[in-house]
Amino acid sequence: MKLTKDTDRDCSRAWEAMPWVLQDSAPPEQSAWLTEHLAQCEACREEFAQQSQLRLALALPTDVQLDPEVGLKRLLSRIDDEAQTTTAHVRSGTWFTRALVAAVLVQALGIGVLGVKLWSEDAVQPYRTLSQPSPMAMPGAIHVVPDANMKLADWDSLLHSLQLQVVGGPNDVGAYTVVPEHATATQDTLQQLRAMHGIRLAEPATASP
Amino acid sequence: MKDADIDADETDRLLLQRMVAGDRAALATLYRSYHGRLCRFLSRLTRRADLIEEVINDCFWIVWQKAGSFKGESRVSTWIIGIAYRCGLKALRQRGDEPVDDEGMPEDRMPSHDPGEDRELRDWLSKGMERLSADQRVVVELVYGVGHTLDDVAAIMQCPVGTVKARLFHARVKLRNVLPALAGDQLTQKESVP
Repeated sequence: MKLTKDTDRDCSRAWEAMPWVLQDSAPPEQSAWLTEHLAQCEACREEFAQQSQLRLALALPTDVQLDPEVGLKRLLSRIDDEAQTTTAHVRSGTWFTRALVAAVLVQALGIGVLGVKLWSEDAVQPYRTLSQPSPMAMPGAIHVVPDANMKLADWDSLLHSLQLQVVGGPNDVGAYTVVPEHATATQDTLQQLRAMHGIRLAEPATASP
Repeated sequence: MKDADIDADETDRLLLQRMVAGDRAALATLYRSYHGRLCRFLSRLTRRADLIEEVINDCFWIVWQKAGSFKGESRVSTWIIGIAYRCGLKALRQRGDEPVDDEGMPEDRMPSHDPGEDRELRDWLSKGMERLSADQRVVVELVYGVGHTLDDVAAIMQCPVGTVKARLFHARVKLRNVLPALAGDQLTQKESVP
């Protein structure tokens, strides 16, 4: 077959079919067709003969001779070496993991201790933040002005008996802001305060002037 | 696929399964079974025996590690030769492709029994293959030497079937143009038309 005959459809078809017919992987009808074509076409016969020669040459054992046992021995040694390396990595990895877990536990313990400390400090705050309600705005707050002559013990006794807590004062006029422990009892507490001896003024803090 | 190929593939799959379980005897069996054809296949990429041995070991190192990930979408041989091909290309990139001439080969690497006709045929092929690119040599080897289909070759070389067809076509055209002249009268007279 010559390049100038590439337009010849049969020769092109024969060219395509040759490798697979040589491989014995072509369908029987394709092989039969090629045999028939080769009988009529000298150029394709030459090409097919050369292809057969090529296949024969490629089927020869390679001239690069290597001993498979030597290569296999090296491969197995490599696998052994890798297995040992992997084991070492796993061991060091275990140690590292344990150290990491210990560090995390210590951190967690520290955070816990810090949390408990902060929580206990929250219970007795010596200050009032801006977000907290002012004593004036606290529900049930009462402004109380005790008599200037009232003794401290009497004042304490009064607060105790009415279950009041001082949340502000005294201010410039000697008024305290007190809050009953039970906000629902504000009105009763107010009445009792007004009735008590030694209390000059008792007014709800939230009341409009 | 021929019955013999199906049987061989079934055996290879069983060996791979055993290798997944860490069976080194299965690895040894598969290694010995493929050593010859990989050696021949890789000799189309390079003539350096040391490099070929290294590539075969790299190939089987990967086969040993990845046996469990073989999905069975192709023949085991296609999978293994594909790995060898990529290992071969990688080795050539890293160490350079310097084919060793026959004259430069040590005597112990030459076959001890090489009938004259075979040697003549081998020389003829060797000179013809030298005219081809590495990819063309690989396609010729896989199609004519190993007997793979175009689909198999495309899977091995990880390229479209059309690319394989083009490589095969150009390789055949080149060989057709140079082989008759290389063969000389003696070989031409030995040709027989089927």
